[in-house]
Amino acid sequence: MYSLYARVNNGFAFMSSCLMAMLAAIALSSFLFTADPKGQLTIFNFKVYASADAKADSRFQEIGLARFNLTADLTPLFHWNTKQLFIYVTAEYNNSDGTHNEVTMWDRIVRRKEDALIDVVAPPKYPLRDMRYSFKKSSPVQFALKYNLMPYVGALTYGEAARTEPQPFPPKVGKL
Amino acid sequence: MFAEELKTMQRLGWRHILLQVLNFASVMASGLMIWKGLGLLTNTESPIVVVLSGSMEPAFYRGDLLFLTNPPQQRYNIGDITVYKIPGADIPIVHRVLETHDVVPRKSKNKKAVVPNPEDQLVLTKGDNNPVDDIALYRGLKHLERKHVVGKVRGFLPYVGYITIAMNDFPQLKYALIGGLGLLALVQRE
Repeated sequence: MYSLYARVNNGFAFMSSCLMAMLAAIALSSFLFTADPKGQLTIFNFKVYASADAKADSRFQEIGLARFNLTADLTPLFHWNTKQLFIYVTAEYNNSDGTHNEVTMWDRIVRRKEDALIDVVAPPKYPLRDMRYSFKKSSPVQFALKYNLMPYVGALTYGEAARTEPQPFPPKVGKL
Repeated sequence: MFAEELKTMQRLGWRHILLQVLNFASVMASGLMIWKGLGLLTNTESPIVVVLSGSMEPAFYRGDLLFLTNPPQQRYNIGDITVYKIPGADIPIVHRVLETHDVVPRKSKNKKAVVPNPEDQLVLTKGDNNPVDDIALYRGLKHLERKHVVGKVRGFLPYVGYITIAMNDFPQLKYALIGGLGLLALVQRE
């Protein structure tokens, strides 16, 4: 009953339940931080090119490229259970089939609070491509700046910091 | 070393050993029940997975535990972190959704009138730590289909899964652990 084995076993069991309770408390505490920061997203130099696409067997595909001006103060999102922020700019539109499409155009990982004051001119990172190879008859496209808060322990949360007005696709300007 | 344990086993007799075996079996069974019950609740074949690769660093490292759900009839969004399994590939992959494309079923004549089914959604994924998207991992597919997606990551617990990685890398550890647990269950007196 009072052997070394029993003592070690009890001690270990108590320690691990304490650890679990603490982790659960930390995970739950992050629901108390309800910061919802907003920023500015402007888009310029949005152009559509024709491009030979490796995926489509030498068929020409239209791709959209754009630069973004991002300003947002995301520092309120950094609390004690924030491991990192994943911020990304999305393009949302309906293509000629009338179905909804979302494409990431730019992303960045923010790991420190000092870096969360975002003021960048984002160059094109991922091209906008459609399954129909063309943006003809597509609905106007809307861009949004979103973030994913990744905790040290607990639930992942998502949010939106900025959104542009819908704007039509520009006509194709040339080959790339 | 085991002389005393053997003596106590002889003293307690077969009944005791059988009871311990039964206890052990009930522990195993309840574990399996919890696992399958969680799977039913979250609609995914494996509600908890261990990260096996470093392609989502610095968010997820090897050995981190992820909790998944796979809500039916719901679209996946950009930024969701999915776990997917391509047929023929042996390990599931944890990567973030980069593109989503809704599609209408091919057979319908009046395309625009049909509301796309979330189950027909196509997605493209990329690991945060990888320079390019995952098309090369899809084994010929151009997009990931929803049926390949095991679930999306909802919760995160660091390091805990490392024991399974250690057991995979060093099988001796696995046998030692299982054997040790079995022996303990047999010789335990209370």
